[in-house]
Order: sequence, then structure tokens, then C-alpha cells
Amino acid sequence: MSQIANVAADAYGRAFAALPQALREARSGAYARFERERFPGKRIEDWHYTDLSALNERDFAAAPAAKAAAVDALADAELLHFVNGRRIGGPARSDEAGNGLADDGVTALNAALYRDGADLEISGSAPRRIHLYSWIGGGTKPAMVHLRHRIVLRRGSQATLFLDLQGDDSELLSTQVAEIDVEAGAHLTLVRLQSLGKASTDIARTEIRLGRDAQLRYLGVDLGGALARHDLNVQLAETGAEAHLNGIFAPADRTHADTHTRIIHAAPNTTSRELYRGLVMDRAHAVFNGRIVVQPGAQKTDSEQHVACLLLSPRAEVNAKPELEIYADDVKCAHGSTCGQLDEQSIYYLRTRGLDLDAARTLLTYTFAYDALGTLADEPLRRRLGLALLGRLPDGRALEELLV
Amino acid sequence: MLEIKNLHARVEGKDILKGIDLTVKPGEVHAIMGPNGSGKSTLGHVLAGRDGYEITEGSVTFDDQALLELQPEERAALGIFLGFQYPVEIPGVTNMYFLKAAVNAQRKRNGEPEIDAMEFLAWVREQVKTVKMDVAMLHRGVNEGFSGGEKKRNEVLQMLVLRPRLMILDETDSGLDIDALRIVSEGINAMRSPDRSVVLITHYQRLLDYVEPDVVHVLAGGRIVRSGGPELARELEDKGYGWLDNAA
Repeated sequence: MSQIANVAADAYGRAFAALPQALREARSGAYARFERERFPGKRIEDWHYTDLSALNERDFAAAPAAKAAAVDALADAELLHFVNGRRIGGPARSDEAGNGLADDGVTALNAALYRDGADLEISGSAPRRIHLYSWIGGGTKPAMVHLRHRIVLRRGSQATLFLDLQGDDSELLSTQVAEIDVEAGAHLTLVRLQSLGKASTDIARTEIRLGRDAQLRYLGVDLGGALARHDLNVQLAETGAEAHLNGIFAPADRTHADTHTRIIHAAPNTTSRELYRGLVMDRAHAVFNGRIVVQPGAQKTDSEQHVACLLLSPRAEVNAKPELEIYADDVKCAHGSTCGQLDEQSIYYLRTRGLDLDAARTLLTYTFAYDALGTLADEPLRRRLGLALLGRLPDGRALEELLV
Repeated sequence: MLEIKNLHARVEGKDILKGIDLTVKPGEVHAIMGPNGSGKSTLGHVLAGRDGYEITEGSVTFDDQALLELQPEERAALGIFLGFQYPVEIPGVTNMYFLKAAVNAQRKRNGEPEIDAMEFLAWVREQVKTVKMDVAMLHRGVNEGFSGGEKKRNEVLQMLVLRPRLMILDETDSGLDIDALRIVSEGINAMRSPDRSVVLITHYQRLLDYVEPDVVHVLAGGRIVRSGGPELARELEDKGYGWLDNAA
């Protein structure tokens, strides 16, 4: 064990030390970076509202061995099934040299410790439909799970990818990194549902690069976890690239949900549209930071960003901030951010038709979120996400039939 | 059926209704006319149970039950329906399911079983014909992207489906072209029966050419200043509301 003598004597060091030697050697750089940076605290601007530094002192065991369980698989889709970070019923992702994304403490830890994830290359003209289902949990003591996906859409290909994240209420730390490359003319519909249990800490990073005339349609629904953070970074790297980002975050109880999106217009004639809806309940805290960067030379950039939040209880809290950095002069950039309560007139209208107050409120809350949800053309997926959302709203199940 | 006695209501410290007395018997159609700001819409909303009104005096009973203490949804389940002047859009919820949710919510409150989904669908489709709407609208979001006239027809559709016993229609005729007005009127007339009553709140007389009222009331300054037969509406049409300034 002499070659790992410099590993910290904590949960993360133990987990790294437990890797096969070849992986330890290949990933020593990533692990060293994690050791240097550790989990970020609020003094780092990007983590101001989501302080992870307490994780540095925590003890997480390896997650229990994967056991297959029934999956509500998406119809007409290929299923990639992961339990506690390991693939079920398919080959594991071949272990890699650890040269993927590792630019901060969290991604470095993920790069050092992940054992599996999807590794997909999509080509040809036939559209692919993939359900990437990840379930985590089952532990009796706090456990951690790391997943890393690499997805490439080759030139002109088309895919719908459903990242479906589920878990139980056991105490978990989960990190996930997805590196996605959409080559020239390819179309990706990426749908992400985060419906983890109430004792999970989930830190996710999705990094997407769009080539010439490539298109991304993203819908994210973030519902679960005690503390959840998702960084969604999209680079419009070549001319004609187009990104549509839509999302819903709906934290309840005393949970914390942080969404950071960053759209980088790095080439001329690129387009982005972003629409987020936040539903903040109980004593939850939501954070939304939407950064749009127009790089020098990215002329004729066309960008719009809208975020609106509903505060559904007097103790709910939200920090929503658009950030525009524009380094080109011939661009169209619009943004808007609002925050408010349910419309009393609408509640009243529904009550005059017989719905009680709770049903009316839940219905209108769902409707508010539908501005984002409704952008998804894929009906079975839209329905699935709508059901997941209703499942988190008071008496929401009673309204399932109302789904469009 | 509906008995309003000396009703006074106030909004944000301002007196709007200043002593309304009105009795509507089963089967009757009452028109309430009056200039803007006279309190017509307030009266409709006080009857339907909207928040924000302070009732300072008076009482309202519906079938001998004290109405003002009830929540809007309880009033709906008793059979009171308010057709809105400005119906609300609810994108993301189809008309069909909204209608079903409303019917079932009312049935549940009244201790009745849920309605059979297939029978209900057939029944709703029949009603859609009465208001001459495209059946496809049942699968669109409630009032989502509807024109003003479509929204009003949708109000009438809801009324036809919910089968209320007291229909309060707040300027359902406003903003309608002549064809839409005729359709809306046919919907209202289809609902007329010896055990149902209608209160038509309107600014203009032309709706009353299609839905013949039994009694016409003129509301001004928060009071009913005159009541009469259908001829009163025609008189108002000729003279306007200006004469009220002298009468009040």
C-alpha cells in the first residue's frame, strides 16, 4: 500500500485506496486535485448559497452491492439500468484513464471514484430512444455513489435520452457527471428527472457541447434530495447551434435545490432559449443562477432567458439570478426573472366550479410548472414527468387525471 | 330560491353595495342592469363567495340556507354557478378533465359517487354541440388561447355540464358578436326550467332580446333603484343611464 500513503485517512481516501491498482494509478491526478480542492464552501462565488464544505468531514461507506429491481421502463426505449452506480444486466463502462472532466473538487472526486456509467456513441439516421435509469439506496449507514456518463451523438444523428434518477430515503451522497457531445447537425432531446429520496445529497454536472447546426432540447425536473445541486453547462461551439433549456425545480420541506445553468455562445448565429419554473414549498430554499456568456465574435447571437418562481409558503425562499456577460456587439439577449404567489383570481375561479382550496392550489401550481413541462413534445415522457411532479404536490395524486 | 335582504358590502374600506333586496323564485330569470361601477359585478361575486368583501349588513339565503358563511366550493356544490366576465386561462389542464374534476368534486361534496367516465364523455360532447364549439377544444387547455367569445361559450359549456340551479351570468354577453350572442343565449335558454333560476348581469339590453327576463332591475350606486318587466330594459336602451343621476 506504499503508493497510496499520501491518501487522506477519510472516507474519500479510503474509497480511493480501495480501487484496483490500475485505476488508482490512472486517476491519481484526479484524486490529487480533489485532495487539493475538496468540497467547495460558500466563499467560492459559485457555491455561495450551497455550501458543501460539511461534506469534507463526513464519513460515507461504499454503497451496498447492486441488486436488480423492477424498473418502470419507458416504452419503446433501450433501457440502461444502474443501481448504486453499477450497471445491471449489461457490460460495465470500461474503466478509463481518468482524463475526463475534472475541473473542481466535486468533478475531480467523481473522476477518481466512479466505476460505471453510460458510454454511448450514437450514429446513423435512425432516432434512438434511451432510458438511463439510476437507482440509489438500500444502505443502513451513509453511503456514496458516483456515476459518470459519456455520450456522443455523431454527425446528423438523433436521440432522446431520459436520465431518470431515483432513490430511497437512506442517507446518500451522489455525484454524477455527464459529458455530452452533439456533433454537427445532430439533435438531442435530453430529459432529466431527479426524484431522489429525502436524505440524499446530489451533486450533478452536465456538460454539453453543440457542434454546427446541432440542436439540444433539454427538460429537467428536479424534485428530490435534501440538498441538490445541478450545474448544466451548454456550449454552443459552432455556428447555427441551438439550445432550448427548460426546467422545473420544486423543493419541499426543509430541502435545498440549486440549479446553475451556463450557456456559452462561442460562435456566431447561435440561439438559446431558456425557461425555468420554480415551485418552492414549506421551508425549502431554491437557488437558480442562469449565466449567459456571449463570447467575442459570437455575432448574431439570439438568446432569451426567463425564470419565474412561485413561493408557496411564507417560509419558502428563493435566490434567482440571471447573469449576462456579453462580449459581442451585434446580439439579441433578453432575460426576465419574476417571483410571486398563486393568482387569487384563478384560485377563486376553480373554487366556484367546485374544487376545494387545496385542489385549486395544487392544480394551479402544476399549471405554472406546465409552462416548462409543456415544451416537451414527447407525450409519454411528459406524462411521466407530470406524474412525478404531481406526486410531490399536496393532494397531487388526486389530480393525475388532469394531465394533458 | 334566492333571498337577498338589505345586503351591504364593502371592498377595501369602500361601500359598494348599499342595501340590496332581491328575491328570485324558482324558474325566474332576473336581469340586473346598470351603469359601470354600480356594483353589478360585486353582487355576483358576493353571491359566489369571492374573498375580500366585507359584508357589513344584511343576509343572503339560498334554499333557506345562509349562503354568506359558505366557501365558494360549497356554494358550487349547492348548485350556484357564476359565469365570469373574464374567465381565467388554465393552460396544462384540458377542458375535458377540468369539467370532470369539477363535476366529481361537487358530487363528492354531495355524497354522490363519481361519474362514469364514458357516459360523461358522451354527455359533454352533446353539450359542446349546443354551444357550437369544436369537440377538439375539449382536449385543449381550459380557455388557453381562446378568443373572448370562445371563453364565454366555454363558460356556458361549463354551465350546461354542471347543471347548476342558480346561474349568475356576469356580462356573459360582453364582447360577443351577434352569432356568439345567439349561441350563448341558446345555451342559457336550454337551461331554463321550473326549478332553475337565472340572474343575468348585463350592461346592454340586446342579450334580453334572446333571453326574455321575468324581472329587470336597475342597479345604481349600490342599490336597486327600479324594478320592472322586460319593457324596462328597452326603456334603458332608449334613454341610457343618464336619467339615473336625477333619479338617485
